[in-house]
Amino acid sequence: MPLDTSAYSLALLRVDGRRWNELRRIHAQIRTQAAADGSSYLEMGHTKVMCVVNGPSEPGPRRGGVGGTSAAGSGGGGGQSKDAEVAVSVVVAGFSSVDRKRRGKNDKRILELQSTISSALGASLHTHLFPHSTISISLHVLSLDGSLLAALINAATLACVDAGIPMTDYVAACTAGSTSTYAANDESADPLLDLNHQEEQELPGLTVATLGDSDRVAVLVCESRVQVGRLEGMLAVGVDGCKQVRGIIDRVVRDKGRRMLQEGTVEKGVGLEDMDLD
Amino acid sequence: MPREAEPSLNERQFVLQALQENLRLDSREADRYRPLEVTFGDEYGVAKVSLGKTRVLAKASAEVTVPYADRPLDGVFQIATELSPMASPSFEVNRPTETEVLLSRLLEKTVRRSGALDTESLCLVAGQKCWSVRVDVHVLSHDGNVIDASCFAVVAALRHFRKPDTSIEGGILTVYTPAEREPVPLGWLHSPFCVTWSYFGEEGEMALLDATRAEEQVRVGSCTISLNRHGEICQIAKLGGTPVEAVILLQCTAIALTKVKEFSAYLDKKLAEDIKRRDAGGRSAELTAENDR
Repeated sequence: MPLDTSAYSLALLRVDGRRWNELRRIHAQIRTQAAADGSSYLEMGHTKVMCVVNGPSEPGPRRGGVGGTSAAGSGGGGGQSKDAEVAVSVVVAGFSSVDRKRRGKNDKRILELQSTISSALGASLHTHLFPHSTISISLHVLSLDGSLLAALINAATLACVDAGIPMTDYVAACTAGSTSTYAANDESADPLLDLNHQEEQELPGLTVATLGDSDRVAVLVCESRVQVGRLEGMLAVGVDGCKQVRGIIDRVVRDKGRRMLQEGTVEKGVGLEDMDLD
Repeated sequence: MPREAEPSLNERQFVLQALQENLRLDSREADRYRPLEVTFGDEYGVAKVSLGKTRVLAKASAEVTVPYADRPLDGVFQIATELSPMASPSFEVNRPTETEVLLSRLLEKTVRRSGALDTESLCLVAGQKCWSVRVDVHVLSHDGNVIDASCFAVVAALRHFRKPDTSIEGGILTVYTPAEREPVPLGWLHSPFCVTWSYFGEEGEMALLDATRAEEQVRVGSCTISLNRHGEICQIAKLGGTPVEAVILLQCTAIALTKVKEFSAYLDKKLAEDIKRRDAGGRSAELTAENDR
């Protein structure tokens, strides 16, 4: 059960050997799936996520309302509205974490994730250019080690870029935490960047997503008890982390673009073989 | 599936232009709540909250059940929300809309995960018997800001609630009726309240508290902050929408804390009044089986 991170104050190193302001390794690829309009694969440490984007296309027959959530302000009902609907589905694979848990289709946590991603991307995508249509984003979680929402948002952003859907800017996300729990009220608590699963379990933390290079926060989710005074530090570190993440995913897109220019047109689906899936 | 009628272009422009001129439809200031009113029923654990025209009823109840196998020392605590067609025609029975899912998740995170109710105190016999406390939230009328009203109702209902007193002798559990022994309050640790901000304008630069239904329909984003009066954040949820400057969010949190302190003082006052009202003969101090914690 709760793991002892009190060793942090001795060497100022975290359980996985990072300093307070270090991100885990982020590895990302785009255009991994040949059949999809846009696709991406993203690793943040041991959190591994795949994303496939289809559309904007005409909405198919309604699938009983499961999994599809409408974009903010569009008032639902994909086919009728003057903005495109952003339908997000998140599937957490049974083998993604240590204990194999069965998650129902109507797990409220998953529904909340879907609605958050849909609404966050809906604000950046130019949905008004595609009336009466649906952009469907399906996300698959292959491995789970903290910062799930952040990884999902980053993967979805990359896949939307690959699909060529016009958008204002990247929506980049990461997590931030604080070394002290609410019980220990010491003032020397350090903010931490990019929490892994162990840290997420026992330290207060939040997920931030910002739009592009600005300080504007699209998503802010905090699910643990924390002193109000800690928020400013955690938010500042989180926003700074988002800018680093934005730099990384921007480089991925530019590298891919450069390679496609050099090789003429790159066939879709290349790059899958060097993916690290273990 | 019935769909919520979208506001017409004229309505939309009217609300937004008025906001540009720093006017709200009901001439409130940006950081003012509508009149908040809480009334308790004759039974323990019933709280009716009205916030302007929004009305929410919460009822707490308890029964003895078997605890979950993986948590033998904890009681069971659940919050059930229901948005019926009575509140708004766009809600359907037995088919949770997005609003309902987000509302129940928010209440869950604010009240349950923040540890407001001491679930260990609900344990009667480890691994065999425990109390199962359940709060049912019914939204009776939806005129915006259901989240804050529901959260207030849940906290008020739980703090007002009394569960029957029990005793164990020789492995036999006895649950006493209110006639035999005075019911006891729940083990309550802190009172969290939700404060919801709505954002308007191109870049979400305008922030309003306690939006009405018409304002909610034209807002570009919202952020719900849950705090208690000790200045602890229990939960923050800005689930997408138009991006807002980080500095504005910090200012919103600071104002939310002052609002939460007002809520907390108001609820304490109302609960004290209710105890006085029930204590007509002035004998409740003798009847109570409760010890100081």
